[in-house]
Amino acid sequence: MKTALLRTTAAAIALSASTAAFADKASDTLHVAFTKELESVDSYMNSAREGIVIQRAVWDGLLYRDPVTNEYIGNLATSWEWIDDLTIEFKLREGVTFHNGEAFNADDVVYTVDFVANPENGVKTQRNVSWMKSAEKIDDYTVRIHLKSAFPAAIEFLAGPVSIYPNEYYAEVGPSGMALKPVGTGPYKVVEVEPGQHFVLEKNETYFDGPKGDAQISRIDIRTIPDINTQMAEMFNGTLDLIWQVPADQAGKLGEMSQFQAVNESTMRVGFLLLDAAGKSDENSPFKDVRVRQAVAHAIDSQSIVDALLKGSSQVIKSSCFPSQFGCDTDVTTYEYDPEKAKALLAEAGYPDGFTTEFFAYRNRDYAEAISSYMNAVGIKTNFNMLKYAALRDLSATSGVPVNFQTWGSFSINDTSAFTGQFFKFGDLDTVRDPELRDTLEIADTSTDPEVRIENYSKALNLIADQAYMVPMFSYNTNYVFTQEVSYTPTPDEVLRFATMSWN
Amino acid sequence: MLPFILKRLGLAFLVALTVSLISFFLLYLSGDPATALAGEGATSEDIANINARYGFDRPLLVQYGSWLFNALTGDFGESYYFKMPVSALLADRLSVTMLLGVCGISFALLTAVPLGVLAAMRPNSLIDRFALFLSVAGQAMPSFWFGLILIVVFSIKLQWLPASGASSWAHFILPTVVLGYYAMPAIMRLTRAGMLEVLSSDYIRTARAKGASEGRVLFKHALRNAIIPVVSLAAVQMGFMLGGSIVVESIFALHGAGFLAYESISRNDLPTVQALVLIFSMFYILFTFAADVLNAWLDPRMRSS
Amino acid sequence: MTTSSLSPDPLLQEIIGPTPGQKLRRRVVGHRGLLLGGIVLVVLVIVALFAPLIAPHDPYAQNLMGRLQPPVFLGGTWEHVLGTDHLGRDYLSRLIYGARVSLLIGTVAALISGTIGTILGVSAGYFGGRVDAVVTFLINVRLALPVVLVALAVVALLGGSLQVVIFVLGLLLWDRFAVVMRTSTLQVRNRDYVTAASAIGASTTRVILSEIMPNIMNNLIVVITLEMAHAILLEAVLSFLGLGVQPPTPSWGLMVSEGKNMMLFEPWLVLIPGAVLFVLVLSINLLGDGLRDVSAPEGRS
Repeated sequence: MKTALLRTTAAAIALSASTAAFADKASDTLHVAFTKELESVDSYMNSAREGIVIQRAVWDGLLYRDPVTNEYIGNLATSWEWIDDLTIEFKLREGVTFHNGEAFNADDVVYTVDFVANPENGVKTQRNVSWMKSAEKIDDYTVRIHLKSAFPAAIEFLAGPVSIYPNEYYAEVGPSGMALKPVGTGPYKVVEVEPGQHFVLEKNETYFDGPKGDAQISRIDIRTIPDINTQMAEMFNGTLDLIWQVPADQAGKLGEMSQFQAVNESTMRVGFLLLDAAGKSDENSPFKDVRVRQAVAHAIDSQSIVDALLKGSSQVIKSSCFPSQFGCDTDVTTYEYDPEKAKALLAEAGYPDGFTTEFFAYRNRDYAEAISSYMNAVGIKTNFNMLKYAALRDLSATSGVPVNFQTWGSFSINDTSAFTGQFFKFGDLDTVRDPELRDTLEIADTSTDPEVRIENYSKALNLIADQAYMVPMFSYNTNYVFTQEVSYTPTPDEVLRFATMSWN
Repeated sequence: MLPFILKRLGLAFLVALTVSLISFFLLYLSGDPATALAGEGATSEDIANINARYGFDRPLLVQYGSWLFNALTGDFGESYYFKMPVSALLADRLSVTMLLGVCGISFALLTAVPLGVLAAMRPNSLIDRFALFLSVAGQAMPSFWFGLILIVVFSIKLQWLPASGASSWAHFILPTVVLGYYAMPAIMRLTRAGMLEVLSSDYIRTARAKGASEGRVLFKHALRNAIIPVVSLAAVQMGFMLGGSIVVESIFALHGAGFLAYESISRNDLPTVQALVLIFSMFYILFTFAADVLNAWLDPRMRSS
Repeated sequence: MTTSSLSPDPLLQEIIGPTPGQKLRRRVVGHRGLLLGGIVLVVLVIVALFAPLIAPHDPYAQNLMGRLQPPVFLGGTWEHVLGTDHLGRDYLSRLIYGARVSLLIGTVAALISGTIGTILGVSAGYFGGRVDAVVTFLINVRLALPVVLVALAVVALLGGSLQVVIFVLGLLLWDRFAVVMRTSTLQVRNRDYVTAASAIGASTTRVILSEIMPNIMNNLIVVITLEMAHAILLEAVLSFLGLGVQPPTPSWGLMVSEGKNMMLFEPWLVLIPGAVLFVLVLSINLLGDGLRDVSAPEGRS
């Protein structure tokens, strides 16, 4: 009976593949699934990828980065100019109105910047806004933003997470009101919000002809469906048109079906191991010995993990940064997969029979399992611990962990500082605490001379690789699956852009 | 009757108080909530900022006191994750779970009671064996596995029923079956046992001797007596069921209180988890209290024991 | 204080005192269930004990290039009879080792909760009065706590591992033991041989250990089987939700959870471990039912 059920199920899948899904092209509504419950639609009050997706559709920043050419162009600003290292002046676009009819001018910029730059207002990702000191109105359509200190990446942030809110409305309703009834200038406006569960966007008919382009699809209906199986079931039933962040195996199977297209795009997220080189978790930690760290690097077959598990446009990563990032020197010491060499290095370090260690991870249980299994194979026995991100971060900040499978997406910022700054500058995630490394990075991060920056990043990245302070392994990718009726070209920054979607 | 109710009420209150104490302290062992609040990708700066904003440094007992006092007035604090009052969050989710619970217990009663009656009417018959098999098998079936199989068969293969969501009555069918089947074996066994006992009593023999029709004997006399303990068992099972909704809701992606509980545990959303543990416990206490009162009212012998 | 709310479960009422209906039922299922359950369970225990000899492969050996191979009856090879999982590990070998995990958790958790529940229940039944009131109160509190929710929360806090799961389940599942042991002790306490033993000056401990315990052992064993099954199912639920036993430990609940992602395309990944779990729990339940029927002394009530 069991085998019968197995066969009929397999047959059913094949059958459902042949029946045409009834996407909602007729009603001009695109049905999309989110996996995670979005805590707040107010883009300053969440730190989720889903939040960025809605932010890009509903609000605009002063600047815009073309996702294909990576060129910065004006958005709510038409031009900008560095007055000095700490001041940028913007000429604003005229004739833009918010979804509620409020006119856009310098007051909105000043109010928004002053609000978010104040830490007491509780912007969730302080890094996005903490570099700004204040904003100053010159006239109705000219505004200056003052920085706390020199910050070359300011333009990147102004084209990304910093979006401009309507001052009168935001002053009246605050973040909680904005979360329930968002108002922006973007190509889509929000018409319905059920917190965390259901969002409906509608085309903004009065969009100002900005760089994002006019919306083509009238309505976007987004529901939170945490389980990938139910997402796929709804794709089969035709009640969903587009899903994303689909695991590689499932995306492959869906892509084989005639009514779906599966598209893969790379992301900046890198997966790596942090080893307790400073001995924070244990004074006698084996990972204080460079040979043990090198042994771990030799033990893991990153190529197989990429080929079998991540697939798509993922690549093996050798240096502690994402290759496209400014200053990312990939010509560093590399450790090829060589279990025998790993065992030899362990023996040399005084562990001929290996040792036992705690192993921590917070996401991608299957990758983490594969990695720990490679370590087991050379004699490093691992006690596997899967914690939630917050719990693991807490633990590594307070008492330290010996082996930590971490990932970092650099906030999609195309600069090495966004990567190394998080792990080697004595922050709570720094497991190395090497003063020389920190000082080199400090020069690279703050210099305004590109040559000096490149030289020092190279020096720092070589030091990290020689010492195997970090074991970089692979970059992530994202799979997008949508029906044949949808036309969409995903971008490498892992953001869904509804305004560029249309019906075939 | 009144002294009995008062005594049970006092006991229920004491139990509730103890449960609130346990749920508060148990969940307070979770370490630093600020990190959970800051979320993935936060810098040390973000975390320090949040720690300062919320002030997690008051003595525990003081925090418990104010939490309990506020909870009594319906204020469970603010969700760390959604930044909105937990009570507002729960209002929505609880109605889904309650609906599911009512559907589940109705399903269990509507299938288990007739089956129990049929089995008792023909002991040792095919139907009796079938009922027995169902009750033994039902208890051994992992609910998450059962739910997954139903999805594969009814949502994917036959495409009869939706696999997830709560937008129509059809969405509740599969979750109802999965939640309800777990209470079925107990209800079925009790109905069957009760019916067998009543049917063999002098009272029924008298009714039969007086020439009452078999249907009348069965429903008017026997079932009415056998059903009393079944109803109170159902009330208690309903209390258990709400706790069991975690698994069902997470499989069928129903945005109910059980799913919220599971997600909140993962997100270290302490105020929400505390409120849910307390509320699920209160439901159980309420339902058992109701069952006791019902029992005592229907069966005066119980009051004196 | 009444016990009505303490024994809502008809199973318990059957253990405590059989009604004519239940006596009849015994004839139906009787020893056949006991036999069947016993045989299956013995086989599974042997499989668990001799896992290293029986398993065709190392359950931990991964082969990323040979992932998700189908079982032999779905077009796979005899090299991996039940196919391979998402990391290319032999499914059959992991199932075999998984029997160890389930049985270990079931046994140890039932022993811990059995010890707690028996101490509480026997004290309540033997001493009565305040002790009884306190124990009854504790049982009420315990019943009011939602088991799955509390277990999930505690495991999430302490981090999932075999030890933590056993410990948490052991501390949560003592209620049935306490209820049954309390009632059984009450029934035995006033029998002649107990009062006689007390009268000749035997110590309380001695009376309990040598007079009471042997007479309530039958019921204890039946509850142990029930709670073993209960603990095994709960471990599977916790592992399924990702907050139980951690990889690479082969747990059946974890295997269902890991297979769930590919359920629509490779349903056997979910069906096989779920079915084995079902058979194990069913056999323990049948055994428990059978033991209850065989051991219940006639005319006790």
